Order: sequence, then structure tokens, then C-alpha cells
Amino acid sequence: MLGNRIKLDDDLFEKIKKCSEMAGYSSPDEFVVHVLEKEVTAILGTGEDADDEEAVRKRLKGLGYIE
Amino acid sequence: MNEGIPRKRIACLLLLIASGYMMVGCGRRESEAARHKVIVLGIDGMDPQLLHRYEQDGRMPNFERLEQRGSFRELRTSIPPQSPVAWSNVITGMNPGGHGVYDFIERDPNTMLPEFSMARVEAPAHTLSLGSWVIPLSAGKALLLRRGRAFWQILDEHGIPATVIHIPANFPPAESRSRTLAGMGTPDMQGTYGIFSFYTDDPMDGEGDRSGGVIYPVQVQDHQVSAKLYGPPNTVRKGSPQVPIDFTVWIDPTQPVAKIAIQDREIVLREGEWSDWVQIKFTLIPGLESATGICRMYMKQVSPYFKLYISPVNIDPSQPALPLSTPASYSKELWKQVGFYYTQGIAEDTKALSDRVLTDGEYLEQARIVLAEQLRFFDVELAKLHGGMLFAYFSSLDQNAHMFWRAFDKNSPAYDPDVSAKYADTLEWFYQQMDQMLGKALAKADGDTTVIVMSDHGFAPYDRSFNLNTWLLDNGYIALKPGQRSKPGDLFTDVDWTHTRAYGLGLNGLFLNLRGREHWGIVAPGAEAEALQNEIRDKLLAVRDAVTGLAPITRVDRAQDVYSGESVRDAPDLVVGYNRGYRAGWATDLGEFTTEVLEPNTEPWSGDHCIDYTLVPGVLLSNKKIVRQAPALTDIAPTVLAEYGIAKPANMVGQSVFK
Repeated sequence: MLGNRIKLDDDLFEKIKKCSEMAGYSSPDEFVVHVLEKEVTAILGTGEDADDEEAVRKRLKGLGYIE
Repeated sequence: MNEGIPRKRIACLLLLIASGYMMVGCGRRESEAARHKVIVLGIDGMDPQLLHRYEQDGRMPNFERLEQRGSFRELRTSIPPQSPVAWSNVITGMNPGGHGVYDFIERDPNTMLPEFSMARVEAPAHTLSLGSWVIPLSAGKALLLRRGRAFWQILDEHGIPATVIHIPANFPPAESRSRTLAGMGTPDMQGTYGIFSFYTDDPMDGEGDRSGGVIYPVQVQDHQVSAKLYGPPNTVRKGSPQVPIDFTVWIDPTQPVAKIAIQDREIVLREGEWSDWVQIKFTLIPGLESATGICRMYMKQVSPYFKLYISPVNIDPSQPALPLSTPASYSKELWKQVGFYYTQGIAEDTKALSDRVLTDGEYLEQARIVLAEQLRFFDVELAKLHGGMLFAYFSSLDQNAHMFWRAFDKNSPAYDPDVSAKYADTLEWFYQQMDQMLGKALAKADGDTTVIVMSDHGFAPYDRSFNLNTWLLDNGYIALKPGQRSKPGDLFTDVDWTHTRAYGLGLNGLFLNLRGREHWGIVAPGAEAEALQNEIRDKLLAVRDAVTGLAPITRVDRAQDVYSGESVRDAPDLVVGYNRGYRAGWATDLGEFTTEVLEPNTEPWSGDHCIDYTLVPGVLLSNKKIVRQAPALTDIAPTVLAEYGIAKPANMVGQSVFK
């Protein structure tokens, strides 16, 4: 599964390790996956879930009781 | 033997004649019963304390007369006391366990996304994609999510004519021979509760989405503004883009007047003037498919900045894109008699005031337009009433108690002496309009007319917000995904459901994350769930507000103690009853987290009723003697049926208030 490995320089990896501990992640892998997922969604935008959430936000607009 | 046959024939003939006579007799009884008149005036949010205060001031003579000559009781409201729940209790005679409406908001336990509880509009199930077009192969539909038969459907079966105007939780209207017009729960053309459009070149107004609409920045060039009004999503185009309609505004260079040209209409408005209804055609497939909507325009300001408000685009009652009435022609029949009218479920644009797009005075004018329409419906139908039941609904007291409580209550965090000087009597004015309307009903009532006045709940101040989901997070019942502790998103997007035991949804609901019900449920049903219910209830009741010293929550009901019926599985496990002065916070009901659990409410929306149900009873008045000591909303349907000698179905939990 060499194709799935990403090479990082040691300094960056140490920082990732530190961040993942500070933020309460179980491992640097979990931290990296989570951050990358967020960035991918931010760049590519509309996954199906995001579409659903946006549609829900729109449908719920206008009711005085909620923000 | 030969003689026996004619005897049998004669016996059969006699039976036939007898049964025919009975049918005729029964029909006669029904038609006699149908001559009896019952007028039910459904006044959303009429509060017994405020009613009596205004009566003592001598401002409510007709209510005072009805109370003295007939009877008055406080009316037990629903659990929780929210309009969709309360009116569903009225309509079906069942509690939420029977009709399945527990809150304005419900959730899909598979996705944990919130949705409205009263109705759903579904796109066509089968479509064919051709280029940028998506051709529907089956019809889309609107679904009423309230379960159970409406009391007027039972009247139908017994030949009693009924007219039901604007009762909430009846969109799309339940199938019936009665004349019914849908009310709260009816969407605008965009499928929402109502989205306004605001066009401005004032940079201070900002731009983009607001909670109740959209602000569009425009430019004034050569005294002219060009903009677009957005209509329904075009579901036959890929991505369902909203249908845009171009319009142009010409501004008079010397006078505060503007002319709006949209499609084949030209509307001239002075600054500060409302237009009449404007009909707009939205083309979905050129030459083949279109839908019409209606809107009102308000020329807020011409200069130095241009500011134009356009109401949510309502479904056109003269050719409705979605079902608005039974029979389908009834919405058009009303249009012929009173002209165009608001069809969106909650017509008062409270969001435009909260979003500071309309001022207090401008909002008030719009709210008066809504009331005038509702009173016109009432006048038309009251004049036609010669037998059977008339139900008429009025929204003004509810919506304007929400918005103008701060005008007469100095304890409100939103109290402003300048606003109070102008609007302290506004709510009382709306109460007086209800009194005049009642006067007309009483004048119409003869010896064979029963008049019932009822409200779904009372009212209370909304001074402080309790952010339930933030409290659940702080107390370890909600877990967030790693790395999200500083600023979690809305709609529970950052909640780690695999470690969350309970969550708040809607204005009063608290759900356990139950295994087998919620998609990622972790709490075992049975003993573990019940122990958790009790633990959270006890902790919530023990909370104290450090600022006021009060308990923000005075009552927490467990579903199994207060609900019965076929829909109990959908119920929130706990119903949170807030103290007078408190309510669920603005963000918490859709799964958003705030920094503080308790916050002051400084919004114009300063009165509310979504609290401990024992603190906000409604009112019940009648020209007949009310015998039942502690009547409830679920008694209204059995009462109306009993007026026509019809026994209530077994699933109705109430009984006639007159027996």
C-alpha cells in the first residue's frame, strides 16, 4: 500500500504529533485524516451530506421561533 | 307453502319500507342537526391574564359580556405548549402520542438532521435527465405529517357542513367535503416558512442571507435600479436553481416616488407605501410549465439610499401550485370574494423586524394587513353561516405578543423607553380587534348557536435563554469530534454520536441517543434509558440562574408519563418545561452550541409560550355553561361533535366541556 503513504519532513511530523496530543486525538494519523477531510470538503465543497445540510438550513429559514 | 312466499315477500317489503323510513328519518335528523350552528373562534396565544387585565380596563366589552352571561375557564394547553402541537390536539382530540406532532421541529433519527414537523414537500420520485433539464416522470407531492382524523372529517361523515379557515397543522388540507383553507405549516413558493427579499444600496445594511430572508445589494444608476426577484426552485433544471424574474425600478429625481416594472405590471409607490398584491409568473419549462406566486412590496426608502422590501412569494390562491384548500376550488372562491391574500402559514413577517429590515412601525403595518385579511375571511363566512360549524383562526395576538412584549414590560432586556412610548398599547389594540370580531359573532348567534372562543396557549415574557445543548455538552452528555471543542458547527455537525448520550432538539424536546432508534444510538432501551432520563431530569430541575437566582426549568416530563397512542415512539424522551421568563436559546434548538448556557434575550421577539405548560394555559369561553372543571385542548373536538349528537371516536382522549 505504498501508494497511500505521504512523505512529511521530520519537523512537520513533530508539530503534527504535538498538535494531535494537544487537541486530544488518539494518534497523529487520526489528526491528519481529520484535518485533511475538512480541507478537502472546504475545497471540493458539496459532498452529499453538505448538500443535505444546506437544503435543511434553507427549508428551516423564516420560522420566527428559531434563528 | 304457497301462502308462505307472499308473507315472506310482504315481510321483506315491510322491512325495506321500514329501513327506508329509518334512513329518511336519519337523514332528517342529520339535516335538523345541521341547522344547529357552532362558531369556534380560535385565537392563537390569547392569554387569560392579559384578557382579564384589558377587561378590567373596560377595553373588552364583548368578552366581558360573554364571560358574565356565559362562562369562562382557563384551558389546559398541550405538552409542550407550541402551536403545531396544541392545534393538533384540538383537531384530533388526541395528545401528541396519537397525532405525532411534538414540536415545530423534528429530526430524522437516521441523519440527525432537523426538519419541520407539520408537513413535507417531496420532489418527484422519478425523473429523466436531459442535458440541463430534469423531467419529472411522477408528480411531486405535499405530505401532512399530522396523524389522526380531523373532527370536521367526522362531521362530514354525519352530513354536518363545516368551514375551517386557517387552522394550523392542516397543510396540505386533510381530505374532506368541508370547506377548509390551510394555515400554519403552509410554505411559501421557496418551500420555507417565508423568505423576504430586501434590495438596498446602503452599505450599512450588509448583504446576503439573514435568518428570515436575503439582502441584495443594488446600484442606483441614472435613477434606475435593476434587480431580480427569486421564485421557486426549478425542479426541472439540474441543481434546482431558483427561477429569477428581472425587474426595474425608476426613481423620480425630485419626488420620493418610484415606479417598479415587473413582467407586465407597473407599480408606483411613494416612500413608506405598501403595494397591493402583485401576481408573478415563474416559467419552469418555457411554453409548457409555469407556476404563479404573489408578493407585496414596500418602498421603504427612495433616497438618500434605495431600500425596497418584497414579501416572501406566497402560493397564488387563485391557481395554487400546491394544495391549499378543500375543495381545491375553495381558495379561488375566497380570492374572488376578498382578493389575493397571504397563503404562507405564518404571515406576519416577524423575521423582517428581527433582522432590522423593517422597523417596528413598518412591521406593525404589515401585521395589520394580515389581520385585515383574516377579518375579511371571517366576515364573508359568518354572513354565509346558516347551519353547521364555522371555525376561524386568528394569528395576531400570538405574533404580536412575541414582538411587542418588550414594549410594555420594563423587565425585558429588550425594553426601550422610546419603543414603549410608541407601542406599549399595541398588543392591547390587537386584543380589542378580537373583541370587535367576537361582537359580530355574538350578534349573529341566535338561540340555536353555540359560540366557543378558545386559545391554544397563553403568553409569558422571554427574558433569558437556556442553551440546552450547551448544558448537555458541559455536563458530559454530548461529545464532540476531536479538535472541535473551540467552535462546533450548527446542525450537530461536529457531534460525535458514538459517544453522545442525549441531545436537545426543537424548543422543548430532549432525546436520548437510543440504540435501535437513533442511527448511532448508544443508550440501551429499558432500565439504562430510564435511569438516564431520571438523572438528566433531576439535574435540569436543580439548575439555578446565577443572575436571577431562579430555576430556569420548573418542569421536565417523561414521554411515558404524558403521552399515549400509536406515535409514542417518535416522542422526545423528556419534555423540558422552562420557567416564566425563560426559553430554549435561539441556536440550541437546531443543534448549535453557544459559549454560555444562560444568556439575556435582547431580540425584539420578547414574549413566548414554549415553556412549562402549566404556566401558560389558554382561554375557553362560551355562551353555554361550561361544566367541565379543568377543560383541555383535547376536549374541543369531542365538544363540537357532541353539539351535533355525534359520539367521539375511542381514540379521542377528551370529552365535551358542556356535559
